[in-house]
Amino acid sequence: MSVIPDKSSDLTRRKLLGRAAAAGLLATPAASVLAACAGGSSGSKTNTGTKGPDNPFGVADNSKVDVVVFNGGLGDEYPKFDKTLFDGKHGKVTVNLSSTQKIKTEQQPKFSTTPADLINNSGADSMALDTLVNDGALTDLSPLLDAPSWDDANTKVRDTLLPGTVSDGTFSNTFYVMNYAYTVFGVWYDQALFDKNSWTVPTTFDEFFTLAAKIKAAGIAPFAFAGKYPYYMRWALMSWIWQAGGKQAMVDIDNLKAGAWKTPEVTSVISNVEKLVKDKLTLTGSDTLSHTESQQAWLDGKAAFLPVGTWVENEMRKTIPSAFKMKIANFWANSASDKAKGAVFAGSGEGWIVPKKAANAAGGMEFLRAMLSKAGSAKFAELTSSLASVKGSGDNVTNSTALKSANDVMKAASGDLVSFKHPDWYADIDKAEQNAIGELMAGRMTAAKFQDTMQAAADKVAADSSVKKQTRT
Amino acid sequence: MSTVTTPAAGGPATRSTVGPDRVGGPPPKSRRASGSLSDSVFSGFSHLFLLTWSVMVVFPLLWVVLSAFKDDAQIVRSPLSLIPNGLHWDNFSRAWVNGKFSSVFLNTFIIVGGGVFLTMLLGSMAAYVLARYEFPGNRVIYYTFLAGLSLPVYMAAVPLFKGTDNVGQLFPLLGLNSHLMLILVYVAWSLSFTVFFMHSFFKTLPTSVAEAALVDGASHTSLFFRVMLPMARPGLISIGIFNVIGQWNQWYLPVLLMNPPGGQTKNQVLAQGLIELSVNQGYKSDWSGLFAGVTMAMLPVLVVYIVFQRQVQAGLTGSITK
Amino acid sequence: MRHGKARFVAGFLALPVALYLFYVVWPFVQAVAYSLTNWGGFSDTQEFVGLANYTKLIQDELVRKAFWHNVFFLVTVPLFTITLALFFAFLLNVGGRGNRAGIRGVFGSSIYKIIFFFPQVLSLVLVAIMWSAIYRGDGQGLLNGLLIKVGIVDPEQPVKFVSDPSPFLGVPTVLWWLLLIAVWGGVGFYMVLLSAAMQSIPRDIYEAALLDGASRVHTFFRVTLPLLRDTVSVAWVYLGFIALDMYALVFVMTPSQGGPDHASEVFASVIQFNAFQRGQFGYACAIAVALAIFTLLLAAVQLRITRRERIEF
Repeated sequence: MSVIPDKSSDLTRRKLLGRAAAAGLLATPAASVLAACAGGSSGSKTNTGTKGPDNPFGVADNSKVDVVVFNGGLGDEYPKFDKTLFDGKHGKVTVNLSSTQKIKTEQQPKFSTTPADLINNSGADSMALDTLVNDGALTDLSPLLDAPSWDDANTKVRDTLLPGTVSDGTFSNTFYVMNYAYTVFGVWYDQALFDKNSWTVPTTFDEFFTLAAKIKAAGIAPFAFAGKYPYYMRWALMSWIWQAGGKQAMVDIDNLKAGAWKTPEVTSVISNVEKLVKDKLTLTGSDTLSHTESQQAWLDGKAAFLPVGTWVENEMRKTIPSAFKMKIANFWANSASDKAKGAVFAGSGEGWIVPKKAANAAGGMEFLRAMLSKAGSAKFAELTSSLASVKGSGDNVTNSTALKSANDVMKAASGDLVSFKHPDWYADIDKAEQNAIGELMAGRMTAAKFQDTMQAAADKVAADSSVKKQTRT
Repeated sequence: MSTVTTPAAGGPATRSTVGPDRVGGPPPKSRRASGSLSDSVFSGFSHLFLLTWSVMVVFPLLWVVLSAFKDDAQIVRSPLSLIPNGLHWDNFSRAWVNGKFSSVFLNTFIIVGGGVFLTMLLGSMAAYVLARYEFPGNRVIYYTFLAGLSLPVYMAAVPLFKGTDNVGQLFPLLGLNSHLMLILVYVAWSLSFTVFFMHSFFKTLPTSVAEAALVDGASHTSLFFRVMLPMARPGLISIGIFNVIGQWNQWYLPVLLMNPPGGQTKNQVLAQGLIELSVNQGYKSDWSGLFAGVTMAMLPVLVVYIVFQRQVQAGLTGSITK
Repeated sequence: MRHGKARFVAGFLALPVALYLFYVVWPFVQAVAYSLTNWGGFSDTQEFVGLANYTKLIQDELVRKAFWHNVFFLVTVPLFTITLALFFAFLLNVGGRGNRAGIRGVFGSSIYKIIFFFPQVLSLVLVAIMWSAIYRGDGQGLLNGLLIKVGIVDPEQPVKFVSDPSPFLGVPTVLWWLLLIAVWGGVGFYMVLLSAAMQSIPRDIYEAALLDGASRVHTFFRVTLPLLRDTVSVAWVYLGFIALDMYALVFVMTPSQGGPDHASEVFASVIQFNAFQRGQFGYACAIAVALAIFTLLLAAVQLRITRRERIEF
């Protein structure tokens, strides 16, 4: 990153080099100490080039774009393809791709000084979004939404995206995060195993409990989960709460409304989960297992259902048995009287952000525009067996039962998609929730205690004036 | 560096207070009768305990090394097994490539080599002066070095990063992603431990030799390099080895500082290669590759320790006596 | 001879002190400065808040929990590590067939010393992998598998190890399992150290004791141990530093880095949580500074209490 030193630091440097010569010592430490004192600002923004339909943000020729890719379950191959697309339209701009798994450890220390232009903020070591938003550290990406799409100048990028993508990336009424992958969450199972035993996927919790008895009789655990990472089980819980109490139930929870955790619907859901654990329907030891460990046990036929998302096929590729027919079903309804039965938990994930202090924010946004092209998103689906948040990305993938079943789930979805914000908005609630889910699934916490704990956590944050609040509808 | 690297125990810590060195000749024979039954029983018990602990130490290590030869299926399905069902050498080549081992090994050798050399040189110089010369500020400087032992490195992370980045704007050789910078950072963070240990060591060296040399007209500097440093050899080797181990396994500082923005090739060290492999493991199962990588990474420092273990112990012994 | 002294001293200290000041001291001074602000860690905006962070941390329940957990380690890590190390050093140096003056070590002591030292050589990644497999909470874990085979553990109720927050002797079980790893890693080193210290005690002292009719055990407690006091006390201080940290172990081994449900929180994890997740970097710095002060005071007190006359022989 080329730095054009501004006048003041130039003078400092000259002065100190002079002193250094006199003292006969290396001035380096002294110079840098003073420079470090001077506060963290550095670098100037890259000059903008001419704007146009093929360059809506005005990326300058001969500039460079630093892109940090998260190398996780989706790998780091697809951005390389996107780079070739980008180079096709911007031959004079250099894109530098780097890939890592430690986004927070690597990127956070430099966020206020010399961040990259585009960062895929994902994984276990990702940066807390609420802090980034509250600290004003992100660039507003709405210009991206209103720009013409890569393939068709008459269609805005906004209109090429799957439902929920825009709202998923909106915080404090501003669109900050471009979620690239579209993940469908649900319960996963082996169709081959189910066919062999003539089992059908349940549509309510009661049906599940009936089926569970049969599964247990066959020597298999009805349900497994990644106990070490409670946020996996959280997806299931939130889906059940949404289906049972409707969108309003989740909106109330997100908005920290008093008593939101204690409604009859929430009580019913948590009691069902409590029963799941108490009746010993979960895989032994599941509450201590990591995601790969629980997934492997499921692949090995030790458990019937596993709550996870569409990345699982790619993640476990090396050890999937050949006879295993991986399929996803929507989380079953809590009961027949659910207010939002059939709501699907799918949404965009793999958030890409442009730091406020990025030197070439235009370049970052343009790279995103390339990723959101038809070719880019189709390649993504092909490489990762996952949907992109662009409409039609998965239409041409035929070799994956998992992806096909995910497509089917999306088609059968009714009403709004499930979404919840409180873990992203409030780190304290996130931590309390994950702890409580861990305890609930380990059988150490009752349903009532769970609800009390969550309500207390929500009330505490609601009453804390130093925490910036957000709301949703 | 011990607070950062070693998860369990840190480096040696002694304050020598005992007398002259007993260059041990053969121990004098006792006048007691030899070989009683209680002696044998005692000896038997000793072996029992010692063997048990040895197993506790060796078995997990052996398990990791042997698992490096298995394939993923065996690791996942019969993890307790010790015998691999085939020698899957490809695990090693895969780990080598995925962990970028050729470049990380090279970087690590450069950085640890430079780091340990400079640490021992500067650490000894500082420790020597602090131990044997009276001057105002001696105690203050000594305790400042000691204080570093108790301070957690991750709190210094953001200021350290900013400072290095700022220096790097002026002098790229001292900025992020530079071998020289990381060497200097390693040295700075190893000084507490090195100064602490070498200080007590130098304190116990006899004054008579020093006085004689000075009377003969030697300068302070040549006294240090020609006389005192050679006398401190056991301690130097011993602490040097500890520094090699610590800097070889160091991961936090490289992850923090060898990560420039943009697509520059990162000059990563071995620990980062291992982290790539292990965090990868969280996303795409490759247990066998991970074990292979970890085995390869561990071997050099294990070999160094075994080769030098006599000196390490002699150094520890020598530092305690005079 | 005296004239060149000042220049010599300054010359030798210049580079080490400079490096140390720039890369270690200065960042910490900055951290102290941050502790007096409410900086979030990501942006350029920060306000001076004086000692507000410090009053806040005294009332913080999480900090209090972490404090007691660290105190647990402070007591147990040195105690178990040094006791075991002394025990093994005793066996190695004294536990053999003795027909000499109590110094005959057990056969193969040098090999034992090499082996015991291994854990010191291993990187954190390796230790984490090893112990995660050992402590795995279902039948496929090394320990669980073994215990189930032998019949001690019910296959339906495998041991949860580091996922277990239930109290054992008043302390969450997860902490005991972490303690085991810490002791496992440290014993070898301190055993070698104490062994070396024992060997440096002159033989005639042992001789005299044995002439007076002392048994091996007696000799150990009445003669050897007191002479090792200095080494032991400094080892204790150093292990205390480790105990007040425990960052690496908690970070890699426990669910949610400090779980389950805050059962394994230590200062380090609370600081991490505040700095990098709650976005309260200034507050986290305050906790860290408080910890540093506590650590240094503790060390100073310990060294003061155990200091005594130099023993010359």
